[in-house]
Amino acid sequence: MSTTSAGMIFIVSLIAALVLVHRPLGDYMYRVYSTARHNAVERVVYRLLGVRTDAEQSWGVYARGVLAFSVISVLVVYGIQRLQDKLPLSVGMEPVTDHIAWNTAISFVTNTNWQAYSGESTMGHLTQMAALAVQNFVSAAVGMAVAVALVRGFARRRSGTVGNFWVDLVRGTVRILLPISFAGALVLVAGGLIQNFSGVHEITTLTGGGQAITGGPVASQEVIKELGTNGGGFYNANSAHPFENAATWTNWFEIFLILLIPFALPRTFGRMVGQLRQGYAILAVMGVIALTSVLLTNVFELSGGATVPQAAGAAMEGKEVRFGVSNSATFAAATTLTSTGAVNSFHDSYTPFGGMMTLVNMMLGEVAPGGVGSGLYGMLILAVITVFVAGLMVGRTPEYLGKRIGAREIKLASLYFLVTPVLVLAGTAFAMGSPERRASMLNGGPHGLSEILYAFTSASNNNGSAFAGLTVNTPWYDVALGLCMAFGRFLPIILVLALAGSLAAQSPVPEGAGTLPTHRPLFIGMVVGVTVILVALTFLPALALGPLAEGLS
Amino acid sequence: MERLPSWLRQHLAALRAVAVLTVLLGLAYPLVTTGVAQVLFNEHANGSIVQAGGKDVGSALIGQSFTDADGNPVRTYFQSRPSAAGDGYDPTSSGASNLGPEDVVDVLAAPGTEGKESLLTRVCARSKAIGELEGVSGARPYCTPDGVGAVLKVFPGRAVSVNQACPAVPFVAAYQGLPVECARPGEDYAAGRTVPVRGDVRAVPVPADAVTASGSGLDPHISVAYAELQAPRVARERGLPPDRVRELIGAHTTGRALGFIGEPAVNVLDLNLALDRP
Amino acid sequence: MSTPVLEKPAHRNGRVGGGLLDPKQMIRSLPDALRKLNPATLWRNPVMFIVEIGAVFSTVLAVLDPSFFAWAIVVWLWLTVVFANLAEAVAEGRGKAQAATLRKAKTDTQARRLRDPGEPGAWELVRAPELRQGDHVIVEAGETIPGDGDVVEGIASVDESAITGESAPVIRESGGDRSAVTGGTKVLSDRIIVKITQKPGESFIDRMIALVEGANRQKTPNEIALNILLAALTIIFLVATVTMQPLAIYSKLVNPGVPDSLALNADGVSGVVLVSLLVCLIPTTIGALLSAIGIAGMDRLVQRNVLAMSGRAVEAAGDVSTLLLDKTGTITLGNRQAAEFVPVAGIGEQDLAEAAQLSSLADETPEGRSIVVYAKERYGLREREIHGAEWVPFTAQTRMSGVNLDGREVRKGAATAVMKWVRDAGGHPTDEIGHLVDGISASGGTPLVVAERGRVLGVIHLKDVVKAGMRERFDEMRRMGIRTVMITGDNPLTAKAIADEAGVDDFLAEATPEDKLALIRKEQAGGRLVAMTGDGTNDAPALAQSDVGVAMNTGTSAAKEAGNMVDLDSNPTKLIEIVEIGKQLLITRGALTTFSIANDIAKYFAIIPAMFTAVYPGLDALNIMRLASPQSAVLAAVIFNALVIIALIPLALRGVRYRPSSASKLLSRNLHLYGLGGIVAPFAGIKIIDLIIQFLPGMA
Repeated sequence: MSTTSAGMIFIVSLIAALVLVHRPLGDYMYRVYSTARHNAVERVVYRLLGVRTDAEQSWGVYARGVLAFSVISVLVVYGIQRLQDKLPLSVGMEPVTDHIAWNTAISFVTNTNWQAYSGESTMGHLTQMAALAVQNFVSAAVGMAVAVALVRGFARRRSGTVGNFWVDLVRGTVRILLPISFAGALVLVAGGLIQNFSGVHEITTLTGGGQAITGGPVASQEVIKELGTNGGGFYNANSAHPFENAATWTNWFEIFLILLIPFALPRTFGRMVGQLRQGYAILAVMGVIALTSVLLTNVFELSGGATVPQAAGAAMEGKEVRFGVSNSATFAAATTLTSTGAVNSFHDSYTPFGGMMTLVNMMLGEVAPGGVGSGLYGMLILAVITVFVAGLMVGRTPEYLGKRIGAREIKLASLYFLVTPVLVLAGTAFAMGSPERRASMLNGGPHGLSEILYAFTSASNNNGSAFAGLTVNTPWYDVALGLCMAFGRFLPIILVLALAGSLAAQSPVPEGAGTLPTHRPLFIGMVVGVTVILVALTFLPALALGPLAEGLS
Repeated sequence: MERLPSWLRQHLAALRAVAVLTVLLGLAYPLVTTGVAQVLFNEHANGSIVQAGGKDVGSALIGQSFTDADGNPVRTYFQSRPSAAGDGYDPTSSGASNLGPEDVVDVLAAPGTEGKESLLTRVCARSKAIGELEGVSGARPYCTPDGVGAVLKVFPGRAVSVNQACPAVPFVAAYQGLPVECARPGEDYAAGRTVPVRGDVRAVPVPADAVTASGSGLDPHISVAYAELQAPRVARERGLPPDRVRELIGAHTTGRALGFIGEPAVNVLDLNLALDRP
Repeated sequence: MSTPVLEKPAHRNGRVGGGLLDPKQMIRSLPDALRKLNPATLWRNPVMFIVEIGAVFSTVLAVLDPSFFAWAIVVWLWLTVVFANLAEAVAEGRGKAQAATLRKAKTDTQARRLRDPGEPGAWELVRAPELRQGDHVIVEAGETIPGDGDVVEGIASVDESAITGESAPVIRESGGDRSAVTGGTKVLSDRIIVKITQKPGESFIDRMIALVEGANRQKTPNEIALNILLAALTIIFLVATVTMQPLAIYSKLVNPGVPDSLALNADGVSGVVLVSLLVCLIPTTIGALLSAIGIAGMDRLVQRNVLAMSGRAVEAAGDVSTLLLDKTGTITLGNRQAAEFVPVAGIGEQDLAEAAQLSSLADETPEGRSIVVYAKERYGLREREIHGAEWVPFTAQTRMSGVNLDGREVRKGAATAVMKWVRDAGGHPTDEIGHLVDGISASGGTPLVVAERGRVLGVIHLKDVVKAGMRERFDEMRRMGIRTVMITGDNPLTAKAIADEAGVDDFLAEATPEDKLALIRKEQAGGRLVAMTGDGTNDAPALAQSDVGVAMNTGTSAAKEAGNMVDLDSNPTKLIEIVEIGKQLLITRGALTTFSIANDIAKYFAIIPAMFTAVYPGLDALNIMRLASPQSAVLAAVIFNALVIIALIPLALRGVRYRPSSASKLLSRNLHLYGLGGIVAPFAGIKIIDLIIQFLPGMA
């Protein structure tokens, strides 16, 4: 079978698996977030937390819960990194330097998992599992909680509350992420991933050289890294590393894990608002964009249109033989379409247009399907903006799922979609404006520009992948990218929760023939159009001077 | 607790939540997973270590260099791909070259400045070296016969083969009527227009994976084509019948899982171990 | 009162009308447009304010470093702002013309104010603006009514043409629902005493003038929301443009061999080009036309003789999902008409017809007239002069009327009353008559029993006559997602029959004002917006409660105060047009927003290659329009951007074409027209402009 046709079947098989699984998982998540009952583990946890589980929260209280939890998380992750040499299982690692520790703490709490460090030479086992992997779980659970709160805003009528953050956080963790992770980790170990607490194992190679085989609880962290669309690898090489992604099929499985929850959440959304077809409309928008992006990335990488890939005969620089070009491209698209940022191949060495696709995926706001939770709420914001323009065009005050989109809603949605482009573009401009910051570029010319653009796009969108040639473990980049990650995460969350509050308080408008149908192909196409024109085109000037200039030379 | 201001109460709850979840997710979960994994998949969980003569010689999953102390290929072994991990296949420094697809202009070493090879020149140089090692042509598109990137900087009135340090002979004498010069190290050619020259190489015996570094720098595999390219040399060096070597290649090739996942790949360490086995 | 419109209005087959744009009007409005360049007023429109700042900045740059290209851009940037102002000025100008007419009616009148309301004899002469609420004034034939109020004594015919444009005089009388008079209208006959209800300076005409001039125009909810979105887009593109500069400087730096060009040098993209890109990207088209669209929407209502007291109400009209319509006068012609004479057994039809006609000859009610007409048309019975007849008029007690002639007594009236009269006279009506009466009632008709002393002759079937074309209009409403509810005082049976015939979705029978209010509240609780018309004082609470309450100008002051619109024609079917105008207003905004945003694609493809092809020749691939040169590309984009505003002014003023249909169909149509059209049009437009301007100096 040719590489191309195998690659296409690979994509089809992923789609088939997601189609098969989204339904039970989506329904299950609906029940998790809707039921009034707490299980035994949760009751213990709530008692330890000292929170009242029956107390519904207004959006403000909910948002303060998210922020309080995140601030404490940053402090704890920072503290563990700085003190790791005094803690068990440090495997000889020094304390992490302050700016890298700050950057990493923000990075993991914001679900970005940008790696300014190299895992195998910086982080001890305890830091990996008790600081970083814990955030892999909870930052994902926070994302889902916020998305669910927004969906409740649509579903509820004349309600002052949007749920209870602590309950949503614990349920998302205990009932969704933890069970799948446990099972998934064992699957990955079966595929060859390691799971131990050993330090470095020195061996002598066949030709007499030395090699240090590393150890660690990799599988348990790898699975939630993908499932929670986190992306922070145990190792510097991330999912390209054989201990993180041992076999051809673990690669398939990891992509599947990345897309699993984001593609199931629209169904959960549909169930919660009582209109499955609305969930499927959102899913269709995500699917159209995602499939287009995956196919384009494959086309660009497989055709290898650039000088070095032409010289080498294929775009194999930075790619593993076992994955090949196509499966690497599919992974790259999946990881940037979501907020994952894990990589099984190095985007910096991609063809100009292949690399541009990974950038564009993030620039779209990571909504197709996006990070766990964040993808759904990002897409719903785009739907709200589309509904506003489309709603006017049918001669009504726009409404989505029965909720009127008035000045307040548009203000919140507009601010939401201002945040990331402003962070990306301002950050890139600041970095590009100074020769010493430009000195961090590994590559010259337009590709160097792409590296910096990629860094700020990735951080502000909480992706975490990189055009990794850029040297970012400098104080300026650590701080600037840390700020981008923090603002890129929490400003949108606050705006989304405010929107949830505003929507929940409304009484819904009944649907009629005059109501804009938001589940038909026309509307789906319009959301796609708005996403591409309004969001991606903002970045066209920057793209023109980066990947487009490089690829069209 | 009820009397505390709400923001403080919330932060206390947050602190407790982080603590409780850290114990649950950061300790209990990895410990239990490790326990189960160690019982069910002991070998995998511990790194798929392979032994030769009772000693650990590596991991089946981690590639290694088959070079001598000077970094020259050991001719009796199949060679791995180029690696960007540390000095090559260093698991404590995994990673890729991260060089871009249009990284084609070298910085030539000159007195006072260190040179920097472009990705294109690396590809060309590797190809040339492998060609020589395997006794085939190492020529590639965009490469000069002397194994650097075939790239011109075009100025009004002249052109410079920018990767060929003088006194090298430029790979072409003239470009669109302009005379082509060799490059003088230290001179700034930035103002010229960059023109990679494809050349007219057709057959390229050295496959792509042989001239590119992997993402992890620890790629345990090479393509079947690269293995087959090396087979005659290994057979010759070891005095084995070529068919036997090809047979071993076949035995250590993993095809696509389920027929469509991934690419066929040859595990170099396994293959070399099999060769060593009497 | 003008007659209700029966036939479909003329605009049915076309757009909801509105005056066409007159080029002269543009020129007349030019001074206003220039005045609006004042930043103190322009800042209210963030999009155009940014354009103005850009124009100022570019002017400074052009002065410092003059070139034909820079000056050409500067001129067109200023024209962009002027065109936007022109749109608003033209929209306002049309209102101003109307306001001038109204002001003529507001000439300084003198009023005869009663010293004591109880004594009509003692009055003093005061100037109209000095009148206070509660003052009583006397107005006689030939005088102008000095202020808004209610007639408390007398009856007069009044010429209201000053405000309604309708020349036929109307009757205003004390008590009842026709007591309201408007200041500035003229009494033609008789003498009335008016109690002033307005506060000084807040007369109906004052408000009307303010309204049509757009003087205290406030932004409507959707307009505010849209403005926020446009501001956000403006900020994004501002950021995208400004942050491009370090990237451009870097790109120039790493390509030192590239000579400086007009668009790009070592300091980055030239200021003029940067401003051009910004102006082309921010949504200037909709930003320029947004307020004009709003003003024109109000104007369209005024042209239909409807005064909306707030823009909010006009928008709400587009959102209405329930329409409450009074049966009488709106759905049916004002009165019932005879449709059949049904004799009892043993009586001939002709005899019944003759008796029915006889009993109605002196009956001047519309029902009575219709019986006479029906008898003539159907049975050939001519009206006759009768002498010596004793007419028995209808009273609330007897509930019948008739005639005594030569010893013959004929009566017609409500079944129970007539039957009692027959029985009292010793007659024994059979059950048959009961069946007939019930049958007619069941079919929604009104039975009038005709009898002679002691003997029932038969029954007259009176029917409500549904106006022509109503069913089609209600079908249209349904397609638009609007539910129509008929309100009537009739019994449920009658109501149902008429509701079925007219094709309304629902009806409220035996409705009291309280029922009406309760129905509105119920609909609103379900999230629906309700529109209704009313004229009586007892309609006031319901008018106030409804989201769109249209008061008839003939109605009471209380009703006019309670509603948020006044229909000067007092035509209840106008509500349907008001809904359409509301929808059209929103659609126009949505369509032009879509158009404006879709335009950006082509502009990117014009300007980005123009800026950067010098450093990266490969980017010429983005120049898919094959524009002649970077300068001509930038200038063409800016010119297109400005001209499209002018081109769309007529559309903004007249509103996009609207045909009642479902939301899906509307979206599909508008999206294809303004979305796809918005993508394609600028590609063509910019290319054509480029073909022309490439011959200008400095464009090569």
